[in-house]
Amino acid sequence: MTRILAVLLLLAGMGGALAWLAPPRADLAEFLPPGETPATRFLFRELQSGAATTLLLAAIEGAPRAELARISRETAAGLRGSGKFAFVGDGSVALGEAEQDFLFRHRYLLAEADFSAGGLRPKLEALLDGLRSAAAPLLARYGFADPTGTFLGLAATWLGETRVATVDGAWFAPQSGPGDPLRALLVARGHGAGLDAPAQRAAMAAFRTAFAAANPPPGARLLLSGPGVFAAEAAAGIERDVTQVSLAATLLLAAFLFWRFRSGLLLALVAVPLLAALVAGYAATIALYGQVHAIALGFGVTMLGVAVDYPLLLLTLRRGEESLGAAAARIWPTLRLAAGSAAAGLLAMLGSGLPGLVQTAVFGGVGLLAAAATTRWLLPRLVPANARIAARPLPATVQAALAALRGRRLVALAVLALATLVLLATGGPSAQRDLAALSPVPAAQQALDGELRRQLGAPDVRSLFVIGPAASEAEMLRLSEALAVAVQPLVARGLLRGLDLPSRYLPSPATQRARQAALPETATLEAALRAAGTGLPFRDTAFRRFTEAVEASRALPLLDAAALAAGAPTIAARLDPLVTRHGDAIWGLAPATGVADPLALEAAAAALDLPGVLFLDVKLEMERLLAGYGRATLGWALAGGVLVAGLLALGLGSARRAIPVAAPIIGAVLVALAVLTLAGEAISLFHLAALLLLAGLAIDYALFLATHVSNSGDDAAGAVLNCAVSTLLTFGLLSLCATPVLHGIGLTVAAGVAAAFVLALALARPISRT
Amino acid sequence: MRPLRRALLLLPLAGPALGQDPLQQVMRSLAAVKQRRSRFTEDKVIPELDIGLPNEGTLLWVAPDRLEKHTTWPIDEFLAVQGGRLHYERRDRAVQREFALGEQPEMAALVEAIRATLAGDLPALRQHYEVSFSGTPAEWTLVLTPASLRLRTAVQRITITGQGSELRGVDTEGGGGVTRMRIMPAS
Repeated sequence: MTRILAVLLLLAGMGGALAWLAPPRADLAEFLPPGETPATRFLFRELQSGAATTLLLAAIEGAPRAELARISRETAAGLRGSGKFAFVGDGSVALGEAEQDFLFRHRYLLAEADFSAGGLRPKLEALLDGLRSAAAPLLARYGFADPTGTFLGLAATWLGETRVATVDGAWFAPQSGPGDPLRALLVARGHGAGLDAPAQRAAMAAFRTAFAAANPPPGARLLLSGPGVFAAEAAAGIERDVTQVSLAATLLLAAFLFWRFRSGLLLALVAVPLLAALVAGYAATIALYGQVHAIALGFGVTMLGVAVDYPLLLLTLRRGEESLGAAAARIWPTLRLAAGSAAAGLLAMLGSGLPGLVQTAVFGGVGLLAAAATTRWLLPRLVPANARIAARPLPATVQAALAALRGRRLVALAVLALATLVLLATGGPSAQRDLAALSPVPAAQQALDGELRRQLGAPDVRSLFVIGPAASEAEMLRLSEALAVAVQPLVARGLLRGLDLPSRYLPSPATQRARQAALPETATLEAALRAAGTGLPFRDTAFRRFTEAVEASRALPLLDAAALAAGAPTIAARLDPLVTRHGDAIWGLAPATGVADPLALEAAAAALDLPGVLFLDVKLEMERLLAGYGRATLGWALAGGVLVAGLLALGLGSARRAIPVAAPIIGAVLVALAVLTLAGEAISLFHLAALLLLAGLAIDYALFLATHVSNSGDDAAGAVLNCAVSTLLTFGLLSLCATPVLHGIGLTVAAGVAAAFVLALALARPISRT
Repeated sequence: MRPLRRALLLLPLAGPALGQDPLQQVMRSLAAVKQRRSRFTEDKVIPELDIGLPNEGTLLWVAPDRLEKHTTWPIDEFLAVQGGRLHYERRDRAVQREFALGEQPEMAALVEAIRATLAGDLPALRQHYEVSFSGTPAEWTLVLTPASLRLRTAVQRITITGQGSELRGVDTEGGGGVTRMRIMPAS
């Protein structure tokens, strides 16, 4: 006993040291692939760590309008004061006086204007008309200094039309129905290019602190959304799932084993290969990847439900006075086969290419093999020679049920027929192509995000043009201007409504220089104004501010992003998210709006043949990527299936004897598919990979029930039942997880294992009572 | 409880008899009119122009917060304010816009000068202006001076004249010019 405890302590110490050295990570981003084409690489980098991830959308509700406005103003002030945000948008955002002056001063660099008499005439007529209208005060202020309407035109394109009403310095969401809650809206953008999950959590905490500091009345609620919130929630969800599954799986397994064996010695013995499996899996994953993802860890813990089979089979299948070492040597070929086929069952995950899934397979596979090896070579040395461990007899009802089921081929055929019928009737489960469905973020949170984006007029970036990599800001802006021109025919064809381009906020230096060079001399401009104003009631001196401004514009230094940020922070905040830097390269983003058919737009964009500009539809790329991983997984699942069958044939000595063992496994796959269909699950690559895993695991039962290891049928059935129940317990727990990867694998394997046990028993030879 | 609550509800109505402040009295009589339709003529004098710009049209007020100004000559312009939103139309140019008043503080102040007066809402008026009253409840003049410096650069003073519960004129001075609006009941 002391030897066992010493080994357990040693293993626990090693595990603790590993976990301390490399604590598991829960960022969902790290579970996803780095991308294979330039487009997907860029996409993933942006989605995972780009400027877009620093956006936080917020709504405050549950109080009267005036109170909401006050909370919104004070929360925004708190956020600005925290220094954690580069930009905070609420109803108090407007172009400040200084910013307006700055932009007004640079108007003839920022936009095109026509200074000829012919061009000015309609502008002067429009000005006169405008002075008659209600907009007269505004026009009197700008119109005489800028009769070309350049500044007001700029302001209109920048600020756009908004459905967000500003009341008392707060934005309010439009209420389309009487049931809609009254909502104050806020937007904040974090500092820097992108944030990891802990930084996202800090930003969210700053938001909640600012909200709490605004003394919200009871009932007032802060709703937060955005990519950062998603990442943080996903990480929290994964951590919660993994912690709960690990704890519950361990307790349930221990309780089950104790109920069956009533032996502390057994629990300690079983714990040895399990701990060894965990330590080996963890160490291998760190060795290969430098870290362990929490999902891989959660899955690894579940694999314990499988690894527990090995010591159980060893202890329960030992004959009479046989020494444990001899028993281990006797069942080793079967044990080896079982562990080998279970590890082969992980091939589909390994071959999927999805980094998280590969890591998960490595963890599980190394763990399984370590558990089998520990059972074969270490366990026999630990058990005292005189120790006797036997399972308590199964309750009579269970024994009767097992005996009744054994050899009932009709039952097996009925189960198979039923599963086939379900699959035929429903057409089988549908394929999951939406990556969003693989995110552990609850659907309600995703819906809130969509709603807030709609209300704020901040559409989710789905289709966009990527400009770059450019060597300089000037080159990127020049490319952006070229794209603006090239895309016009596509807008005319209705493929998209418009583009938000970096050059919309900041023209390239070349363009600014050209505009400056085209500005007329004062005398020329005055003559043009006189000609244009013929017959109109403008006094000669009316446009003096205009002619002076044009003269001053000729000598203005050109604007770059830094100058814009210093002089016009509100406009720079619009430009900022459209520009990203990676190393020396600079990239521009141009999100498209009003895209009805991304495929058609993609084809048209490719036909533009603009060097340095790439069209990207996020959903389309994700679907393609997912389809690619799905194909790889399917291919490897088939290869793994063949390998498992080959192992079986090899282990049993002939293909003919392998068939009755393989039948329940194929049946289990069918039943698992039928259960998934009935549960309304769309098949993702996680389910697909799990099907092969299920096949690898189910082989255990078929092997031990069908082969010569034990001829005392009831013992074998009981032993296999112990194994099946422990697997079912852990994978059943996994199916309760909210994390789609874990849920998908859990449900598939749990359903399949139950089916495999029933089928294997029903297809086994009836006990010859001799 | 019920009689007491009813008595409390009647309390504000007892005001005119109790307080004799003529400004309050004018505001109350204005507030009592829930809907009115008027005609207006306007003359804009702008220092950069040789001539004044005249126009005319109709006004519609519906309590508590809807105001429409429809200019029918020489341009066709329709302006409606309700709550925090401003709807603008140039029917002769097929232009249609929606603004949030809060995003246009100057416009909000100009709208409130007339709307808050028609609503008899003195606190709303005082949010944007210093209000000085002269005359009697029968024949009165309100002079509104913008409270914010920013607005004062565009509008220096608004003078509203009225008789009893009727508005007669709104003169808006700013930027070296003046806009004189005369109001009469719709025939």
